[in-house]
Amino acid sequence: MLQVYLPIAEISVNLVLMLGLGAAVGFLSGMFGVGGGFLLTPLLMFSGIPPAIAVATCANQIVSSSVSGALVQWRRDNIDLKMGAVLIVGGLAGAFGGVLLVRALREAGQADLMISLAYVAFLGVIGALMLAESIRAIRRARAGIPARPRKPGQHNWIHGLPFKTRFPRSRLYISAIPPLMIGALVGFLASFLGVGGGFVMVPALIYLLRMPTNVVIGTSLFQIIFITAIVTLLHATLNHTLDLVLAVLLIVGGVVGGHFGAQAGQKLRGEQLRLMLAVIVLAVAMRILLDLALVPDDLYSLVPMGAKL
Amino acid sequence: MRRVAAMLALWLATVGVAFAADPPAQEQVQSDISTREIAIQSNFTGIEIVLFGAIDFTSVPAIDDTQYDVIMVVRGPSEPMVLRRKERKMGLWVNGPSEVFASVPSFYAVLASRPLRAIAPEATLKTLGVGFAALDFSAEPTDEVNKARFRSSLIRLKEDRSLFLESDDAISFIGRSLFRGSVDLPVSVPIGTYTTQVYLFRDGTLLSQDDSTLQVHKVGFERLVYLLAFRYPFIYGLIAVVIAVVAGLIAWAVFGRRE
Repeated sequence: MLQVYLPIAEISVNLVLMLGLGAAVGFLSGMFGVGGGFLLTPLLMFSGIPPAIAVATCANQIVSSSVSGALVQWRRDNIDLKMGAVLIVGGLAGAFGGVLLVRALREAGQADLMISLAYVAFLGVIGALMLAESIRAIRRARAGIPARPRKPGQHNWIHGLPFKTRFPRSRLYISAIPPLMIGALVGFLASFLGVGGGFVMVPALIYLLRMPTNVVIGTSLFQIIFITAIVTLLHATLNHTLDLVLAVLLIVGGVVGGHFGAQAGQKLRGEQLRLMLAVIVLAVAMRILLDLALVPDDLYSLVPMGAKL
Repeated sequence: MRRVAAMLALWLATVGVAFAADPPAQEQVQSDISTREIAIQSNFTGIEIVLFGAIDFTSVPAIDDTQYDVIMVVRGPSEPMVLRRKERKMGLWVNGPSEVFASVPSFYAVLASRPLRAIAPEATLKTLGVGFAALDFSAEPTDEVNKARFRSSLIRLKEDRSLFLESDDAISFIGRSLFRGSVDLPVSVPIGTYTTQVYLFRDGTLLSQDDSTLQVHKVGFERLVYLLAFRYPFIYGLIAVVIAVVAGLIAWAVFGRRE
């Protein structure tokens, strides 16, 4: 089979496998409208790519998928640029924090463990929430009860915070602190886990900030472009963990897979899609947890000092 | 004429010095490698190198049926490594105690015509740094039990990755004088300058030694990527981001515009 040498990972991988992996995750992300980094990073790790390289390279791949996604939303005028800018500022701080944390953990020899544990927690919680939500939605649909409409004008603790700013596109007048915090959390996840963070951002913008749903996806994608671009740069300069050859393979696969995924997604129903995705997410979380809990093949691990994982 | 004589004297002196450096009237060994340069490209999946050599009998006229032994050592550049052992904590396997080895050869292969112990006494092997037992790794001082355990695990892990190799009867003689041995360099072969040493033994004594070097480097596109990533990481990162953005734009232009 076609083997391709990855100059930074310093291993040889199967060209078809990597293109296929990019396409499969692109397909899923096109189908479900999610970034896919949360699946791609663990799948790369399962196929032998060192975790740190998987994280940095996935961040780069997400740049491309969020650019095309954001452009579609831009055409529909679904991006709140001001909100996006505030989220990016927060994201910068979070991304920097995440990269530094990866560095410190690697020196302590615990980076692999912590990234894996964070993935188990992150995917476990998201998967369980999605599973519960989609089952409820399917039951509701069967019983013929319409989905609850959003109650407008509700106030919560967020509206008591200072530094209030107007976000005209979202028709919001809220403090700048919550968007900064959300941005920082997403930036941290992007650099620590190699995920876009849309998973966290979309519900946070809808439920915490009460942004109108139609601008949420576009604004989230817009912010993710910048955050993942910065994360890519930070990992490339500080950790030397970005593999360009692998990135190109994943990008090409992702672009093609994403297109067909989006087409397939339109033929399936939302609740069923979310149920399927929830099952996939939980399965990946289980696999990572099993890897940590089962007796490892080798108790010893050898790494170059102060270099790549 | 006088000038020619002077040059001749100079030449004789140089040759004389060169000869004096070697033990006189012994069999000499000469060797070479099938390739002096290994280029890693996108289709690189490992490579086999052949070391070959000959015993030079010119200074020793009598050829009886003495048994000659040859040992070949291929060594890659050394680097500091950390070895960690996993321990079970709260049901999970986490990295526990660790040991730092300041100087571990990134690649180390020993080929011999017979088992090492049969060729030379342990002390000689130790001084020459031949064989796993002779490697030091400059470990940080810890207690002896742990040290031995970590050391053997280091060697085992390197062997698993085909980066350490110790092989008896891996050298074949062709007639009295010619010999050859081959080493497989795996795909993960570290780049840098490798040294090869070929030792000639008779009855446990070192007769002669011949050294060569071997360059392993990345070429073409792989070299460019590697150099960019480590020398100009910011530009490298920017290129990666630009590629991703352009790919996203193309994807949107081709597939997304109709949506």
